Formats: sequence, structure tokens, C-alpha cells
Amino acid sequence: MDHILLQAVFIPLLLSPVAYLVGRRHGMAAVTWFSLAVLAYCTALVAIASLDGGTEERHAWTGMFGEFGLVVDGLASPFAIMIYALSAILAVYSRPYMEHKFAEQYREAHGEGGGAVALAEYVRAKSGTYHALYLVFAMGMLGTVLATNLIQFYVFFEVMLIPGFFLIAFWGDGPRRKIALMFFFWTHAGAVVLLLGFLAIGLSAGTFDFAGIAAASIDADIVLVAAVAIAIGLGVKLAAFMFHIWLPWVHGAAPTPISALLSPVMIGIGAYGIFRLIMELLPAAFSELSVWFHVWGLVTMIYGGAMALMQDDLKRLLAYSSISQMGYLLFGLGSQSVLGLAGAEMMYVTHALGKGILFMMAGVIIVRVGTRSLSRLGGLAGRMPITATCAVIGAITIAGVPPTSGFMGEWLVFYGALETAVEEGSTLRYVTFGLGLVATALTMSYMLWMIKRVFFGKMPEGLAKTREAGWHMLAPMMVLAGFTVVLGIYPDIFLGQIVPYMSGVAGGGPLGPGMATELAGVGSAIAPGVGH
Amino acid sequence: MAEHAGLMATAAWLVWIVPFAAALIMPALKRWPGRVPGWAAIAGAAASALLAASLLPGALSGEEVHAQTSWIAAVGLEAGVLADPLAVIMANVVAWISLLIVIYATGYMKGDPNIVRFWFWIMFFVGSMQLIVLSDNLLQMFFGWEGVGLASYALIGFWYRDKKKDHVGTEGRTVLGMLDYYAPTHAGMKAFIMTKIGDIMMLAGMFLIFAYAGTFGFRELVGDTAWAVAMDTQGLLVPALVLLFGGAIGKSAQFPLNEWLLEAMTGPTAVSALIHAATMVKAGVFLVARLGPIVFALGAAGLLADQFFEVIAWVGAITALLLATQGMVNPEIKKVLAYSTGSQIGYMMMAFGVAGLSEQFVDGYTAGFYHLISHAMFKASLFMAAGSLLHVVGSRFMTDMGGLRHHMRKTYAFVWAAGLALMGAPFITTGFWSKDAIFASVFESGSEWAMPIFAIAVITAVITAFYTTRMIGMVFFGPKSDHVKRLESEGRGIHEAPLSMWVPYGVLAAVTIAVGVMGLAFEESLHALFGGYLEGSFGIHSPHGEEAHGALPAPLSGLNPVALGASLAAFAAGIGLGYAFYVGRWIDPARFVASNPVFRGMHTVLLSRWYINAAIYWCFVVSPLWLARGVFRYFERTAIDTGMNTGLERAARWAARVVQGAQTGVTQSYLYVFGAGLLFVALMLLM
Repeated sequence: MDHILLQAVFIPLLLSPVAYLVGRRHGMAAVTWFSLAVLAYCTALVAIASLDGGTEERHAWTGMFGEFGLVVDGLASPFAIMIYALSAILAVYSRPYMEHKFAEQYREAHGEGGGAVALAEYVRAKSGTYHALYLVFAMGMLGTVLATNLIQFYVFFEVMLIPGFFLIAFWGDGPRRKIALMFFFWTHAGAVVLLLGFLAIGLSAGTFDFAGIAAASIDADIVLVAAVAIAIGLGVKLAAFMFHIWLPWVHGAAPTPISALLSPVMIGIGAYGIFRLIMELLPAAFSELSVWFHVWGLVTMIYGGAMALMQDDLKRLLAYSSISQMGYLLFGLGSQSVLGLAGAEMMYVTHALGKGILFMMAGVIIVRVGTRSLSRLGGLAGRMPITATCAVIGAITIAGVPPTSGFMGEWLVFYGALETAVEEGSTLRYVTFGLGLVATALTMSYMLWMIKRVFFGKMPEGLAKTREAGWHMLAPMMVLAGFTVVLGIYPDIFLGQIVPYMSGVAGGGPLGPGMATELAGVGSAIAPGVGH
Repeated sequence: MAEHAGLMATAAWLVWIVPFAAALIMPALKRWPGRVPGWAAIAGAAASALLAASLLPGALSGEEVHAQTSWIAAVGLEAGVLADPLAVIMANVVAWISLLIVIYATGYMKGDPNIVRFWFWIMFFVGSMQLIVLSDNLLQMFFGWEGVGLASYALIGFWYRDKKKDHVGTEGRTVLGMLDYYAPTHAGMKAFIMTKIGDIMMLAGMFLIFAYAGTFGFRELVGDTAWAVAMDTQGLLVPALVLLFGGAIGKSAQFPLNEWLLEAMTGPTAVSALIHAATMVKAGVFLVARLGPIVFALGAAGLLADQFFEVIAWVGAITALLLATQGMVNPEIKKVLAYSTGSQIGYMMMAFGVAGLSEQFVDGYTAGFYHLISHAMFKASLFMAAGSLLHVVGSRFMTDMGGLRHHMRKTYAFVWAAGLALMGAPFITTGFWSKDAIFASVFESGSEWAMPIFAIAVITAVITAFYTTRMIGMVFFGPKSDHVKRLESEGRGIHEAPLSMWVPYGVLAAVTIAVGVMGLAFEESLHALFGGYLEGSFGIHSPHGEEAHGALPAPLSGLNPVALGASLAAFAAGIGLGYAFYVGRWIDPARFVASNPVFRGMHTVLLSRWYINAAIYWCFVVSPLWLARGVFRYFERTAIDTGMNTGLERAARWAARVVQGAQTGVTQSYLYVFGAGLLFVALMLLM
């Protein structure tokens, strides 16, 4: 197939107005199927493109910035597949949740009056807008991950921001416009810092194409400064410690399907950026910064976990948990060994699965119970057994318990960290490794405690008649729950792509010599063994 | 021959796959009527047990089945089964005891509305344990390792509604301000998180070894010891091994991670039996049995890891004593049994630890493993019997029982049989022989720590005999409690447990005695088997000659007279004291404790669990939460939210107001500013 990636990126954008019309004309059911079909088709395209070692496409663009390229390789494909797969699944999930939300807002605006016909009309009108924005949002995320050019990366990076802003401003909870603005402001501020870094690199290298930058020799000082700027810009996206200001508010307030996309899928793109832009393009700066990523990751991990313990709002708890999980990603990135880096990417996949399930669970609770305050929940396992089962699977995925995929990410991350500690004999790295492992107990604690407060224990008054969610909500959760177990037992589905890629980068294959010498010992890390 | 090996390998795979498969079909049986899920569970457990048994003939003749298949190809890791004599015997113990417990549970859990969930987790539990036993590498073993953790979490918190009757502890009682009264869901969490601490240590140890050896495989670690040499030169060998042992500390509820085991009693009693006899706590002992020979064999390469074995021996000794003492005072029958389990596991650890410190590795090794087998039998029997008592009496407190021996004759007899094994009644119980073997191996080890550990072992034996007699006395002897009288007046008198319940623990009690009668022969054949195994697989040679201890008559000639004497004396002292207080009731225990402040104080300390549990809560639950709350309030809320979000908003507003202030709308003032600007520019140009 020609232009397979171009299709995957632009079909959702081009069909977004169609989605709007379908929604307006035919209502929520039709537009849900439409979105699902579009996104499922594009997911299949991405999956096909990532077979056989990936695909690369180059298209002419303005001469000033370079080529408009799209690439799926061992690094991008797990990100790309998760972005579209989760978007497709959440399109189904959106239906009952957003209908509930639209109806709620209708009642807010118009009171109980107006009757069922007017309400149905209202829902129909809104559903088109929602799905139109939704498709653009998904497409923005995918474009970022496939970009091969700094400017292109930046453009897509901002493209996903705009629909995100509207989705929150229209259908969020609480002071939604203010929070949407906060989201826009902080991530945009981060993006501007990112752009400064891009310009420093691009102008010194004379090209914005990744390939050109990797080949160019840039002054080391500029590289370092630019890498720091890029790390800060991406750090805001990742919601790493000190730049996490916006995340608990936004993930708490966003409509739940959007939280489920924002939280695992979108913020993880920050980690993708570090892989692609710093590790691959600026390897010298990466080796210098990796220890700092390591420590930053550790602090983020522990801080997010500790704050999650303190939350009463279910969605805010999950938001802080996402911060903590991004800490794991950063931690793995900082490990600077093949398996640690592979583990960090695996963590992205597994976090997408686990957190996706958990946010969907939160949505079920919101729709069926009408509260998200943990102190007013409890004992729901008997009323909603399937949701409870999926939520437990999601929780242990986040906590990294086998046989879920969480363990497959976690053991690689921590093993990678230890390996580098052993290689370098670095006390700091031994200590961060130890503390990081201990932090997994923190993760497990807040997860189990949350599950207990929602599903177990005594049931507060008034919940006895709670009903199980409908299949639109259950099926997406069950799919993800099933997949996390499959991936936990047979991780080669993704690791088979990730590990060869990482060993190529770290082994000094196609990239700069700095990396190769820095990580020379780790090149053999696929079959480790200092003793041999 | 190759065909035979292939068949054996398939059987070894299936031993752990079958229970998982049985677990997976459980949800499909949800709509089926009452007994079907139970029968499916029995079928799964029985199939697994028969498969395990089919491996036994080969294992007894010293054969070893090792099969591998590709797993995480990207990282070059393989999955595999390793059915050597150690694993096969363990697999059989696990499988057969689980089968009996599953049969028992069909009676015990009859009519429970969530029976499908129960069976799912039981089969998952058994499958995970068999995965631990049969794995050929640490990483795969860790799957089973966490699997049992997960299953225990789900089963301890099985009654997730947290009804009052499902709690453990005494309502309202506090220790150092911490409630000593736990709900099932809390207990499940506690078990999972506390064992997770052990798992973290184990992971760290695993990773260290993997970083040097490049393999997780047990056989590969023996084959080439370059990794150990490299680790030893960096001083990492012993730390890594001790970290690995940390996993065993968590899973086997050894000091200082022992406290979860008591709250684990909130689960259905069948689950307690499973945790204590066949799965979960035995996993830690098995890990030590797996690693011990590997580490000991390093001695041949000149690498002594004595500290590793010393840690094991001391952790075992401390736990044995610590938990036994608490068993003397607790009023809840299941908790007494739980303390006893931790304490008995301590004996096993002691034996394995001492084995590594002595020339005669095989002696301690056999003794520890023998004790594991005999404990599995009598403890399963005791727990199931306790379940019957709970079932009939409807209370977990022994003070609510009393005088039951006339009403539950079968249970009474079986508890005596199994209880005698726990006490180590001489010559007729397995417990006696295995405990005696531990005493002998400690005594003969020649380690510098042999004497203090031996003393602890003997003291613990006295206490064990005492608390077991106490338990039997409180439940079956003396006058009926008010609770029992009330039940009788309501027409719900005490009666024997149903057939499906008493048969399993009856069988185990009988087997305990049967094996006990020929205990010495059993021990000798186990010794010979392990001797050959250790020699063949690890090259551990035991220089043991046929030196008879001439002091004893012919049938007992293999025994160490000091160990035998100590064992007999401990049994006599313990049962004598227990009899005086609780069976004969010549002395009132309550008055005895109250008689002087020292006894009162000791009683309080023991009942308060040596304050360890409360200290753990203060240090690892209360303080971190307090700290997190402080950070949340004074940093997250203040610096981050107010400082950055609200602060930015304020700053923007303030800036807007300043700029706004200039927009007066008065033409004159604009002209003044314009003029001043012009003047400024003109001056700049002129300069």
C-alpha cells in the first residue's frame, strides 16, 4: 500500500468534519461506530506498517524546514499502536459516558424542562462536535510520534493541544474553562521552551531533519543547552516533578474518556520525545543528562505515589498515579542500558493499558454511582463484579505484579538500572536502584488501598442498588485487561521490536560515536554477564 | 528412552498448567448448579496430583527432567521445568495436600454465593505454587511467587464485606495506640504488601545475580561459577544471596516480616490450611532448599558464603522462638496455629542454615525437608479440624469452646494425633523424627553458633508442646463455655463435622501417625535420596561414614543421644505444663498470670505481639502517611498550586492593572507622553 502512514495520520483529520456531520444527522450511536471504524482502520495501518522492521515515508515539504517524513520503527511502533488502539477502544467507551455528560449539562443549562426530544436533539448536536475533536486529538498524538523533523514534531505536538483544550473546556467537570486554560497555558509554555531548544539545534545543524541532525556536528555547549531546554519542554508534558502543576487538575476535570487518553497516552509522548530527540539525536548530551533523568524519575515516582495516597477524589488519585508512573519512565530512560530503555518503553505500553482500565473504571463509577469521592464509595465489588475484576487487573498492572504486562516493564527498568550501576560501580545508581524498587511498594500500597476503598469493605448507604455498567463500557475494559495479561505472559509482541531497536542505539549502531563509547559495555547486555 | 523423557517433561509442565486451566474455566461454570464448580476443582487438583505422582518413580531413582522452551526471545530468556528429586517430592506434597484441602473446602464452603471466585483463586493458588516448585529459573519462579501473593490477597480478603464475624483480633484492643483488630480486606492488603517487601529484596538479589551470571537458570548457575567469583571479588555475593533470601523471609513469614501471617487468618479456614501447609509459606522454604545447594556447592570453588547460611539459621531460630512464645497466650485458635506455623518454618530455616555451616550438608538439608513434609501433613490436618470447630461453634475464640470432646469424637481424636505430631511425641509421629533430625543436625554441625541455636530449638520445642496442649485443653476439655451452652439451649448443639470435612483431616492425621511409626526408615531413605541428589547434581559430597552412636539400642542406633534426650525432655516438659494448666486444670492459668507483675508484664508483651506489629504500623504506615499529608498540604497545595497556578494568575492580573492604569483615555496625557518620547528620541539622535 502506498502512503500507508500518511493515510494513518491524515484520514482521521480529513474525516473529522464528516464525523461532525454524522453526529449531527444520525446521533451518537452512528458517530461512535464511525469513529471506531476510522480509528480501527488506522490502527491496522499502523500495525501493518510496523511489521517487518517498520516503514519510512518521505514527502516533499517546504524547503525551509526539510522533508515531511513519517517513520515507524522499533521505537515508534509501540507508541503509535497504543495511541490508536486506545483511541479506538475509548471511542466506544465514550458513548455512554458522554451521553451521560451531555444530559447532565443539558439539565444544568435548561433544567428538567424541555422534554426527552429536546434532550435527544441536544445530545445529537454535541456528539458530532465531540467526535470531530476526538479524531483530531488522536491524530495529533500519532503525528508527533511518527515525525522525522523537528518542526513537524512541534506542529503535531501543538495540534494535539487544541482539541484537548476544547474537549476539556466544553465537557469537563468543575471550573472547566479555567482548567482547560491552565492545561493550554502550561503545556504551551512547555512547548515554547521545547521550540527554543529545537531552534538552537536546527539552526546550528542547518537542518531540522532528524537524519541530518544526527549526522551534523554541533557545538557541545549548544547541544547541552538545547537538550536541557528540550528536556524541560518534554518534562512539562510528562508532568515530571515540579512541572506536574497542571496534571492533577486537568486529569481530574477532563471528561473521563479524555482523561483515559491524556493520562497514559498523551503524557507518555513526553518520554517518546526524550527517546527520539535526546537519546537518539543528541547522544552526548543524553549520556551527560541520564543520571539526572534517573534521579528526576525517582523523585517523580515517589512524589506522585505519596500524593496519590492523600487523594479522596478517584480521578485525582489516578492523575497523581500517572505522575508517579511517568517517574518510572524517566527512571528507565536514565538507566542508560539496553534493557532499562526497553523497559521504559514497555512501561509506556503497560501504563496505557493499566491506567486506561482504571480511568474507565472511574468513569463507570461516575456514571453509575454519581460520585468520585472515595470516602463515599465502598463494597461495590458485589454490585459490579466485571468492573471490579477489570479494575483489579488494572491496579496490579500499575503495581507491576505478574502475570500482567506491568511486571514486564518494571523488571526491565529496574534490572537496567542495576546493570548500569554495576557497570559503572556508581553508588548513586545503586542507591537510586534500591529506592526505586522500594517505591514499587508505595505504588502497590496506594493502588490496593484505592481498590479497597472503591470495591471492598462496607457499602455506604444508597449504593445497594448500583447496577453494573453496560457493555459499551465493559467491553473496552475487558479488552485491555485481557491484553495486559497476554502481554505479561508473552511480552515479545512489543519487546521483539523494542529490544533490537534499543540495542541498535545503545550498541553504537547507526548513531553517534559518543553513545557507542558511553554504552560500550552495555552493548552486550542482551546476554548480560560481567562474570563471563 | 527419549520418548520417556519427553513424556515426563510433558507431565512436569502439566502439573502446574492443569490447575491454572482449572482456574480459567471456573468463570464459565458460574451458571452451573451448586456442586459442579467444586467437582471441577477436585478434578483439576486430582489431575495435577496424579501427574505429580507419575513423576515420582523417576525422581526416586534419581532421574532429573529438565525441559526448556523459548519465552522472551527478545531478551534471550527461556521458560522451563526442572523436575529433579527436590522439586518432584515438593510437587507431590503440594499436590496431594491441596487435593485433600480442596475436598474439604467443598464441604466447608458449601452454599457460599461466591463459590466460583473462591475456586478460581484456590486453583490459581495451587497452580502458582507448582509453578514455583517446577520452574527452572528465578524469573519464571517469580511469576509463581507473585501469583501466590496475589491469590493470598484475594483469598485472605475473600469475605470482602468486612463483616464483624470475619475479623480477627479482639475488638477494641489496642497496642501502642494501634488497633489489634483487623478486617479481611485490610488483612489481604497487609499480606500482599508485606510479602511485597520481601519480593523487592528478592528481585534485587535476582537482578544482581543476573547482571553477573547472565542467566536466571538454576542449573546454569551451578554449571559455571565465574559469576560468583566476579561477585565475590566485588563483595556482592553474600549481599545478593541474602537479598534473595529476603523473598523467603516475606513469603514464609519469618522475622521481621512475620506479622502478616496472623491477619491472614481472616480468610476461610480452607485457605488458611492451604497457605500454611501446601502453598505460600512453604514457598520460602522451598526457595532456600533450591538455593542452598547452589551456594554450598560454591564452596568447592573456594567461595564461602557462610554469612548467608548464618543469616538463614538465625532468622529461623529467632522466628521459631518469637512466634512460639506468642502462641502460648493467644485466645484465637487459628492464630495459635498460625504462630505455630511461623515457628515451625523457623525450624526448617534453622536446619537449612545450619546445613550450610556444617560439613554434613545433607544432614541438615534432609532434616529441614523432612520437617517440611511432616509439618505440611499435621498442620493441614490441624487447620482443617480448626475449621470444623469454627464451623460448629461459630466463634474463633477458644474461650468460646471447651468440653467439646464428647460431641466431636472424631475431630477430637484427629486433633490429638496431629497435635502430638506438632509437639513431637516420641517414636510414633513424623513431627518427632523430623524435629529430632533438626536437633541432631544443629548439634552435630560444629558451627560456632551450634550451641545457642540448639538451645533456642529446645526451648521452642518445650513451648510448642505447651501451647499445643493448651489448645487441645481449652477446646476439648474443661467445662463448656457460656457460648456453647447458649448454642445448646437454642437447639443448635455441637455435632460432628460432615463427612467431606472430617475425612480429609482424618486421612492426614492417620498418615502422620503411619509415617511416624516408620519414621526413621523414612528419614533414612530421604537421606539417601538427597545424598545422591546433592552429589549428582551439585557435586556436594557428604563424608558421612556409618558411625553408630553406640550409646543407643539397635533400632535407634542412627540417632544422636543428646538430641534424642533433649527432644524427649522438651516434649515431656511442655506437655506436662500444658496438662497441668489446661487439661487437668490443677492450676488456674488466669490466676497464675495475675499472681505477680513479672508474669503479668510478660503476658501483656506476648499478647501485644512483642510490640513488633504496632511498631511496624507506626514506622511504615502512620509515619509515611503523616509525612505525605504534610507534603501535600504544605508543598503541593501551597508551593505548587497556590504558588504557581494562583500566583501566576495574580501576577497576570496585577500586570494587566498596571498596563490598564496607563490607559487613561485623556488626550492631553497621551500627548505629554508622546512629546516626551519624541524629545527622548531627538536627544538620542543628537548625542
